[in-house]
Amino acid sequence: MISGEKIVQLVSGLLQQVYALLGLSAYAGILDRVVCAVVMFGFVAVFVMFLVWMERKVSAHMQSRIGPNRVGPLGLLQTLADAIKLTTKEDVHPVKRDKIPYFIAPILAFVATFMGMVVVPFDNKMVVADLNIGILYIIAITSFTVIAILSAGWSSNNKYSLLGGFRSAAQIVSYEVPLVLSLVPVIMITGKLNFSGIVQYQQQAGYWFVFPQFVAFVTFIASATAEANRAPFDIPEAESELTGGFHTEYSGVKFAMFFLGEYVAVVVSSAVAATVFLGGWLPPFPFLGFIPGFLWFMLKVLLVIYLIMAFRWTFPRLRVDQLMDFGWKVLIPITVLNILVTGFVVLLAGKGA
Amino acid sequence: MGAILSYFKNILAGFWNLVLGLSVTTKYLFKKTNTQQYPEERMPLPARSRSMIKLIYDGEKDQFNCVACMMCAKACPNSCIKLEGVRGPDGKRRMTTFKLDFSTCIFCGYCVEACGFDALTFVSEEYENSVYKRGSLLQDEQAMKWVRPPHLAPKPEEPAAAAAGAQA
Repeated sequence: MISGEKIVQLVSGLLQQVYALLGLSAYAGILDRVVCAVVMFGFVAVFVMFLVWMERKVSAHMQSRIGPNRVGPLGLLQTLADAIKLTTKEDVHPVKRDKIPYFIAPILAFVATFMGMVVVPFDNKMVVADLNIGILYIIAITSFTVIAILSAGWSSNNKYSLLGGFRSAAQIVSYEVPLVLSLVPVIMITGKLNFSGIVQYQQQAGYWFVFPQFVAFVTFIASATAEANRAPFDIPEAESELTGGFHTEYSGVKFAMFFLGEYVAVVVSSAVAATVFLGGWLPPFPFLGFIPGFLWFMLKVLLVIYLIMAFRWTFPRLRVDQLMDFGWKVLIPITVLNILVTGFVVLLAGKGA
Repeated sequence: MGAILSYFKNILAGFWNLVLGLSVTTKYLFKKTNTQQYPEERMPLPARSRSMIKLIYDGEKDQFNCVACMMCAKACPNSCIKLEGVRGPDGKRRMTTFKLDFSTCIFCGYCVEACGFDALTFVSEEYENSVYKRGSLLQDEQAMKWVRPPHLAPKPEEPAAAAAGAQA
């Protein structure tokens, strides 16, 4: 039977032999990390291309259209063509830009979200770094996007970009709170901050946290959508108001980095939702265990991503004041109440950390 | 207490409405698309839609129906029809050259209406009438030659109606 653990063992065994051949066994620790990073980047790049295709197909069919179907089978290579177009484009930039932040912002926007992929467990033991504070790490590292967006908005020297950056800062900072608070009940029940540990808890308990913590699941998806700056919470780049928001002045590869960062943020939030609430690599029924765990994980991630895409093509964009109202007057009270109720139940049941 | 209850009621109602919206879009996701992939798929046009003006050619008699009576040229508001005819050996007039300048034609259909010999007609199937050169819009009788397929043949007049017409 194929499992993520066996694949990892096989690959690391192969790598050890390659290191030995090249006489680099002493640096195995560093080289392993480099290989992991390259593999993860390749995976993310290809997966994001697939996601763009999927988003276009989903939106098209929701609007009774067909969507891309010319380049490659079912139009699957359309995104590849777009990526080639984007990377070969001229890098146009404003003359009066603030050079260093302007250059760093797209890199940071991508790297900050990409770093979140490090702790995502694809299968049992199939994870780049199984940090014992995985949830804390992922929340901390993905918040860096706000710095990227703010500096992009500021350094573009464009009022629309600046407005977009400010809006984004306000939005991400306010939605960070319900995002964290909706993960707290699960942490309270399991007593763990480690993603693999949370999945193992769900395996032992025999249920996924989406059932007892449905409210937390919904608030998490809502605030994750807002964190990723996606519609209906896409006021930082609201096209009808701010042309392109913080990335108005970016083109070519730098724009591609922002674009990639946005999609990776969606992937990371969906991966967290799939791991914490949908049981990660666990099959929904024990008799379906013959399908490898990482396929189950990807299926759940795609399900959550589909949900986020459906949000984008279903709901109208929120106004700025509505956005703040929704964050502070609806999501935060509900998550706090959920924490209170969960804490009460945990206390009564006498379990938990 | 009432305010708190209505707060939660509002949130539940909002959540339910969002779910309803999602169900609508998800339903459309699996519905058949309406797109028509134009060059490969073509919309069937009604048999008598007015796409292009054609000269009817009678395959059995091996000649055009046109007798060069000039009614179409006179009816044309833009004078874009030019035609000539000769009297044949059997004493009947036949059209020799026919030119229609589609660059000034407005497809008003007066010529088709004026034609008393069933020689000019609108056809439905040829609607891709763009050309690369303006000169290509000036079509002669060979370019406008069209043999009427049997299913579009004019219905023979009802005997009763003909009789009624004769009486009146």
